[in-house]
Amino acid sequence: MKELFPAKQVMGFVFSLVLTVVALFVYYTDMSFKAGMTLLLVTAFIQAFLQLVVFMHAGESKDGKAIYTNVLYGVIIAVVTVFGSLLILLWDM
Amino acid sequence: MEFFQRFAIPHPSPAIYASMVAIALVSIGIVVGLTYFKKWGYLWREWLTTVDHKKIGIMYLLSALLMLFRGGADAIMMRAQLATPEAKLLDAQHYNEIFTTHGVVMILFMAMPFIFAFMNLIVPLQIGARDVAFPRLNALSFWLFFVGAMLFNISFVIGGSPDAGWTSYFPLAGNDFSTSVGTNYYMLAIQISGIGSLMTGINFCTTILKMRAPGMTLMKMPMFTWSAFIANVIVVFAFPVLTVALIMGTADRLFGANFFTTSNGGMDMLWANFFWVWGHPEVYILILPAFGLYSEIISTFSGRNLYGYKSMVWSMILISLLSFLVWTHHFFTMGQGALTNSIFSITTMAIAVPTGVKIFNWLFTMWKGKIRFTTPMLYSVGFIPLFTIGGVTGVMLAMSAADYQYHNTMFLVAHFHNTIIPGVVFAMLAGLTYYWPKFFGFMLNEKIGKTTFWFIAVGFVLAFFPMYITGLDGQARRMYTYSESTGFGPLNMVSFFGGALMAIAFLLIVYNIWYSFKNSPRDIGSDPWDARSLEWATHTPVPEYNFARLPQISSSQAFWDSKKNGHVLFKGEIEDIHMPNNSGVPFVMSCIFFVAGFSFVFALWVPAVIALIGVFVCMTLRSFEQDHGYHIHAKEVKETEAKYGEVLNNEDRSRATSRV
Amino acid sequence: MKIDHAQPLEYSTDQNQLNILGFWIFLGAEIMLFATLFTAYFTLSHRTGSGPTPAEIFEITPVLIETFVLLTSSFTIGLGVHAMRLGRKNAMVTFFGITLLLGLCFLGVEIFEFMTYYHEGATYQTSAFTSALMTTLGTHGAHVTLGFFWGLFIIIQVVKRGLTPQTANKAFIFSLYWHFLDVVWIFIFSFIYLKGMM
Repeated sequence: MKELFPAKQVMGFVFSLVLTVVALFVYYTDMSFKAGMTLLLVTAFIQAFLQLVVFMHAGESKDGKAIYTNVLYGVIIAVVTVFGSLLILLWDM
Repeated sequence: MEFFQRFAIPHPSPAIYASMVAIALVSIGIVVGLTYFKKWGYLWREWLTTVDHKKIGIMYLLSALLMLFRGGADAIMMRAQLATPEAKLLDAQHYNEIFTTHGVVMILFMAMPFIFAFMNLIVPLQIGARDVAFPRLNALSFWLFFVGAMLFNISFVIGGSPDAGWTSYFPLAGNDFSTSVGTNYYMLAIQISGIGSLMTGINFCTTILKMRAPGMTLMKMPMFTWSAFIANVIVVFAFPVLTVALIMGTADRLFGANFFTTSNGGMDMLWANFFWVWGHPEVYILILPAFGLYSEIISTFSGRNLYGYKSMVWSMILISLLSFLVWTHHFFTMGQGALTNSIFSITTMAIAVPTGVKIFNWLFTMWKGKIRFTTPMLYSVGFIPLFTIGGVTGVMLAMSAADYQYHNTMFLVAHFHNTIIPGVVFAMLAGLTYYWPKFFGFMLNEKIGKTTFWFIAVGFVLAFFPMYITGLDGQARRMYTYSESTGFGPLNMVSFFGGALMAIAFLLIVYNIWYSFKNSPRDIGSDPWDARSLEWATHTPVPEYNFARLPQISSSQAFWDSKKNGHVLFKGEIEDIHMPNNSGVPFVMSCIFFVAGFSFVFALWVPAVIALIGVFVCMTLRSFEQDHGYHIHAKEVKETEAKYGEVLNNEDRSRATSRV
Repeated sequence: MKIDHAQPLEYSTDQNQLNILGFWIFLGAEIMLFATLFTAYFTLSHRTGSGPTPAEIFEITPVLIETFVLLTSSFTIGLGVHAMRLGRKNAMVTFFGITLLLGLCFLGVEIFEFMTYYHEGATYQTSAFTSALMTTLGTHGAHVTLGFFWGLFIIIQVVKRGLTPQTANKAFIFSLYWHFLDVVWIFIFSFIYLKGMM
């Protein structure tokens, strides 16, 4: 039974639960918008990274480099698209 | 009867009725012809179910040529309407429909399949692969593109063409101002072919990353393959934006959502934003493979290595990132602040730098080379100065403050045609001439080819350069007419004359294909141009398995090295070759997509739901299917190779034997 | 077909490796798909017209259930892949089954949530905000629904055909898909719900 629950994945799961609970602070405590958004950005991106490395085994094969480049490229362009659009349509309108 | 009312054309004219008759006659003609010559089985076995990248490439090529004529017919009608002031050839509504379909057809259903054609035909050969990574997905991509194109093209005889411009800006494209189903066609046809494009992108990225011949590192890939790779990376990250935007547009029009409406909080500018987040990278999806083709052609006909290979690669990588950072320059006048416009002005000017690097690389490749002015080379040499003019006017447009003067004028129309025609269309025609013998086994006639080039080059200059002047003088784009007192008349007549020359050029291309088919010799060998990269190392026409033995690579011009420097390309014994099975599922599934798309256009929910279920059934069947492909046995391969060997002996015995 | 026994089953043939890399590239495209949806949501979330605002309709309880259910399912499918690599077919099928059940729970809660919105007068047509919200959530939910059937087909194939290079490859790729949906949910949870209720 025990070999079915490897420590790495269990720890990963516990850590992701902790991160979720930390994120909930923005709901249960009285935080400024800026602080809240910062906290959410940090917890969300750590969570995503955790899934990528611990659960999705992104780097395990010899294509690991290509896979990380692909994800990084996607994230960069996604961030540019989100913030660029917000700049155009909301912040600088 | 009431049910059929919805399929009527809202704004008919004799020309549309004539087209209906023509389409009906041609369809009947095709069916009768196929039956009479008993070709249904052949069509199904060899084409509709094929997963061979070469055949798929040829189908892309034919579709692109077909769409070139559709879009070209639109273009010549527009030029004819504008040739004289206050002309009555087209009314405002027809003019709107025609410039809309011209744009969509030329970009999405002509230029895109044209570049996909070359990617399919060339990339697996250039990297020494047997096929693409996912051959069946490749077939699905093609058929989705094809049914998307067909869905878009039937709009003008069933229900009415889209008429809100190829950018389909809201609120004009919303239900309030576009009451016919035309814009539904726009949303769904592009959606379907866009899904196909996205799959092609994934397919080719994987192919190029994983299936290169032994020894071919990334930095030893031929330049066309590099350009195809970068273009497909852009496809993968840009097309999802279009997918989402089209879903939202469809939801607004069909389900009463409020994304781009002007009530209940909708924001029409969000559409423009998304459209260009996809639309600007799209420009580079088209131009980069064109650059790749020019690189191959210029290096072949200058008899020299491509100058600055590394800078070429890095400039493309830079372009792929920068292409996602400039989209706002398409709507500087939309009302956002000076800060945003300044940022995007600067990124736009910056993207001219890597493009400039490439221009110099081509010039230096030709420098001191022994240039052979063949037809493909003429297009490439013509491209450099003409494209540079287009690029420089682009930098003019990039200055956001000045753009307030140029925006929505003919100046802009002149600019983007000046980049797309010498950039993409010249490249496609050069590539067509250059690669024609590889896939059809005979050369296109050089004399007719060169005449065609001069018609198209002179025609292009006459058609579009006058627009720079009328645009600066204030002639607006997308206006169906103008008054005589504006003084735009004479220059627009020149444009029409140029357009007519281009139309003649396109007819000459068809004539050339027919003429060469009749008259060209067939014993041209496998390397008629004395070329440099791997696609010329296999036989002509290419056998279905591409290479009997996988080539061994040690430079970006492995084939040239094998001809001149004694590099041994093929080693070892011929082994059994694993090949994918043909499948009818991609074709059938795409037809179901067509039915779904058509039903959505007319909000016929029952067939729409049934068709969508059909799509999922196809996917389910695919999930459970076990298909391990088949093997061509070594003996069979050797027999095929021997057949080619006889042909090759006429040409060059030593080369033929070293290769087989 | 050459099988490389030095690799885990799901990587053991050339085609398998192509499939895995190809799917990762597809996930790259999915990143952009959801980024576009988020862009639309962030742009439109204050544009509520005469309809309700985010703070008025969001409730923490269903969101918490959905979040923990999906996080757990991401964990169990990770265990499923681990069991598969140990060659423990039954354990793998069990973990995959639990994952899909959790997926169903998630969908159930989400449907309940949508019904609540509907009763509170927040329909798809109400405002730009509700259109963007429901398209974003709906796209994610549609992915989960598709994933449910896909996963079910893979379980059937593993049970019928055993752990072969093909079934293992499919199961692994499915796990990538499922983890990715969890990542997307994390962003929905943080930047749609928590930001909206802050």
